Formats: sequence, C-alpha cells, structure tokens
Amino acid sequence: MKFLKMLPQRLKMAVVDNPKKVAELIDLVNLPTMLREFMGQSQSSQLNCFRRVWSYVKENNLQDPSNKNVVNCDEKLKSILLGKSKFELTELPVLIKLHFPKKPK
Amino acid sequence: MGKFPQAFRRAAAQSLLKTKTSSPSSAIQEQTPSPNLPYQPQKYSSSKNKPTKNNAPTTKPNAPSIIFDSPNLSDAKSIFNSLISSSRNTPSDPSFYNSILKSFSSVSSLQDSILFLNHMIKTHPPFSPNRYTYHTLLVQSCSSPDEQDLSNVHNVLNLMANSGFPPNEGSTDLALRTLCSCGREEQSIELVKELSEKNSPPDNYTYNFLVRHLVKNRSVSTVDCFLQDMKEFGIKPDLVTYTIMIDNVCNSKNLREATRLLGVLSEEGYKPDCYVYNTIMKGYCNLSHGSQVLEVYKKMQDEGVKPDHYTYNTLIFGLSKSGRVKEAKKYLQVMTELGHFPDAITYTSLMNGMCREGDALGALALLGEMEGKGCIPNSCTYNTLLHGLCKARLLDKGVELYEVMKKGDIKLETGSYGTLLRALCRNGKVAEAYEVFDYAIESKSLTDVAAYSTLESMLKWMRKAREQGLKV
Repeated sequence: MKFLKMLPQRLKMAVVDNPKKVAELIDLVNLPTMLREFMGQSQSSQLNCFRRVWSYVKENNLQDPSNKNVVNCDEKLKSILLGKSKFELTELPVLIKLHFPKKPK
Repeated sequence: MGKFPQAFRRAAAQSLLKTKTSSPSSAIQEQTPSPNLPYQPQKYSSSKNKPTKNNAPTTKPNAPSIIFDSPNLSDAKSIFNSLISSSRNTPSDPSFYNSILKSFSSVSSLQDSILFLNHMIKTHPPFSPNRYTYHTLLVQSCSSPDEQDLSNVHNVLNLMANSGFPPNEGSTDLALRTLCSCGREEQSIELVKELSEKNSPPDNYTYNFLVRHLVKNRSVSTVDCFLQDMKEFGIKPDLVTYTIMIDNVCNSKNLREATRLLGVLSEEGYKPDCYVYNTIMKGYCNLSHGSQVLEVYKKMQDEGVKPDHYTYNTLIFGLSKSGRVKEAKKYLQVMTELGHFPDAITYTSLMNGMCREGDALGALALLGEMEGKGCIPNSCTYNTLLHGLCKARLLDKGVELYEVMKKGDIKLETGSYGTLLRALCRNGKVAEAYEVFDYAIESKSLTDVAAYSTLESMLKWMRKAREQGLKV
C-alpha cells in the first residue's frame, strides 16, 4: 500500500503550467546524426521524437509477443537507443531524453 | 441604390491586387452586393470574393456600403462627393448614409465623424439624418477605452438634442452598454445618473444590465452605492436585480450576504421565485452544505414555490456532492413522479456521488438504467464513471468503458485520463497505457504536452517504485 501515497498527483499538473518544462518537450532541437537518420529530419522536439519511436515500434510489431511491455529492438532502433537489444516501455521517455540534454544557461 | 461609377469599380478591382496602398482610390472597397438588386450591374457578381474588412459594421444586406480604411477626412469627403455626383439615383433611405457614416466612424476620430456627417447633410440634401445616425456617433463617443471623461459623450448628446432627437431610453441603453464593454464602468455610472436627472432614465433592462455588469467587475460596495444613488431617481432594484446580486454573492461563497439580500427582497415586498431559490441552492452546493441545500428545498415547498427541473438537478447535485447519495436517489424518484424527466446532468451528478462513496458498480448500473430510459449519456457521464471505476480498482470494467468511449469518439478529460493511466501502470499494463496516450492525442482530448507529461510522470513513478523494491 505504501506506493499509493507516492502517486505523483500534483506533479503532472505542474509540468503543463511550467513554461520551461513545456518548452523542453516541444522546442525544436538540432538532432544528433544517428537520430537524424531515424527521424528523416534534422530538427525535432522531444515529444515528437517519442511519438515517432513509439509509432515505429507499433508499425513494425516490435513488441514482445509474450510481454507487450517489452520491445525487441531492430537494427534501426538499436542504433538510437544505446545499442540495447530490448527495452521496457517504462524506460522509453528516459532513453529519448538522453538525446535532448538540457541546455546550459 | 446607386449605380457605382467606373472609378469605383476600378478601385475595387485594384484593391484586389494591392492589399494596402495609401492612394485614395483604393481607400474604399466594395462590399459584395446582394444579388436581388434589380439594377445592380451584372459585372458585380464577379466581385464576390472581394477582400472585405470583417470588422466593419454589419449593414442591412440590401444596402451596398463603402468600407473606409483611411481615417483621412478629406479623402472621405471626396469619395462621398464622387459617389453622389456620379450616381443618378442615389437612395433616399437614410440607412444607406448611416452605414457609410458607421464605416467611416470605425476608422476615424469622433471629431472627423461629426464633420463628415455635417458634410453629408450639407452636400446632399436628400439625406436627412435620423436617430440611428446620431446613435452611430454616440457609440463612437463611448467606445474609446482610454477616454478619461464624458466630454465626447456629452458633445454627442447635445448634438442629438439640438438636432431634434433628444436622447431616449434606447440612447441610454446603447451608451451604457458601449461604455461597459470598454471597461468604463465608473463613467457609465456617472452617465446614468446624469441621464436620470435629465428625464431619460434607464429602463429595467438597462438598469439590470448595468447591475449585472457591475457585480461582475466592481466591488460589492460600489454596487451598493450605485443602488442607493439610483433610488433617489425612483429607480429601485426589482426581483431580477436581487437575483443577479444573490447569484453574485453565492458564486463568491458569501452565503451570509445572500441570506441578508433575501431578507431585503422580502422587505421590499417581493416574493422570492424559483430562480432566487435555485440560485441560493446552487450557492450551498458550491459549499457542499447538503443539509442547507435540503433546507432551501423545504422552504420552497413551505412558500408554495413550485420547484422546476433545475431545482431538482441542483438538489441532486448538491446532495451527491456532500455525500448524501441515498437522499439524492430518493429525489430522483420524486422528480420523476412530478413529471420532470431526469437528464444526463441529473444522472451524472448521482453517479458522481456514488463513485465518491466507492459504489462504482452501482454507478455503472445506473448508466444502464439511464440508457434504458432513453437518456443519452454525455462525455461528462462517461468520464465520471471511468474515473470512478479506476479509483475503485475495477480496471477491467474501466477498460471496457474506455473501449465504449473510444468507439463513440468521446473525449477523455484530464482527470479520468490520469486515473486510467495510473490504474493501467499499476497493473503492469504499460503498453495499454501507451495506447490510451495515443487515443488522448488522436481524439484531441488533451494537448500533446499534457498527455505526454502525465504519461512520463507516471512511468517515472513506476521506475522509482521498482527501485525501492516494490512489486509493480
């Protein structure tokens, strides 16, 4: 029961109200080379990149048939996600975020 | 309607090409003439796609008008001159000239508008201005937001009186509404007092409009002051005024003031009607005071005021909100017996109450009952239920309902979206949560950012929980 109290109820509202965090998600960023090939464009936002990877997973049926929460990477995905051969969907936002380092002020 | 001179057509045609030039010939554009004018040249039908200014005042459909986009007075004068000199049969209907004046006044200063009107009267005797002509000027004088005093308004009112159109109730109404829409509330109070002194007091509708506007935008003391001052002119608040004021204090949760006003209202010899009671009941609902809500209902019955549909909806909402679902259900029965058919709002309020009590299954059963009676649930109904089912850990039922919603293209609300995602993640159904995220964006239920950040924070929380060795 303990984790019920940890629920991030307030947290999620905070992101939408915080212009900096919103900007982090939707600002167009120059992509690193490997992502550029995957996305087919030189600029993208973190949010779009996430949606693109997720739709790529769905289009190519990369979800593990025995556990849908796990994705088996193909070569293309491997190249952009730290060379992992498979990953859990839970991790995806973090993996994407790695390509979008915070800008130094 | 006059035939328009060649130059005008050219000007109109040019304005298609040049979007904005300073040359006077393109200072006017032709509005699309309506096709039912007999002597309208056919060529004009080709000009239907004219770029017309949308903020120009709307005119009667059968009056072609000139749209001015230059505030220059002499340009306007010469355009008008060429219009009347080159047309053989200019209309005698003043509304044609009113629309010209209105158009010019939308871009020019008040002084120029008055000069332009004088020019039109002088150069074109068939035109005799009517009340509406002066009302155009009155609106202009009231509509500049940064004006510090009423001198312009006074000028126009004097002009009206001197031209044989002393301001009437219509003028008062128009001036006050325009002033209020520009945020000049203090000046509208000043003006209404002046006009009341000068025998053109506001009628009930204008007065109540002003009160409604003031309670929304000014402090209670300002409104009280205004009401007191108006009593000197014999204008007293009526039942509608009191309802407006009670509604306002109820919305700001000041029920004590509402009760006081109710007393004043009775002292003044008014009998509270259904609207007054509904308003007060709503006030108690906002505070979740179930017993007070019931009391208002009982008082209505004692006073012989017949409750309407809204009364019952408010009552059921209030009781459900304050956790008295049993009673709320009882009134659903009462309501039906009295011939008021419960609607989606009634049922949704009740479902909300049941879900709060944790009786999500009961709420789901109510959905069936409601649909059985031919009442169509709305998006709020579904979202309330979805939220309730997920909270009550009935995820399977929740997912079932979500599928129904998805089929019906019903949007998710922020709350139920979050609850559903959380329930899915908690049950290890991350892939399904991703699908819900997709639907939320596809159906435009939420913005991309809102949908994503909820998902992201949910996953973050899952990872943390796992790190701490909790089984998720």
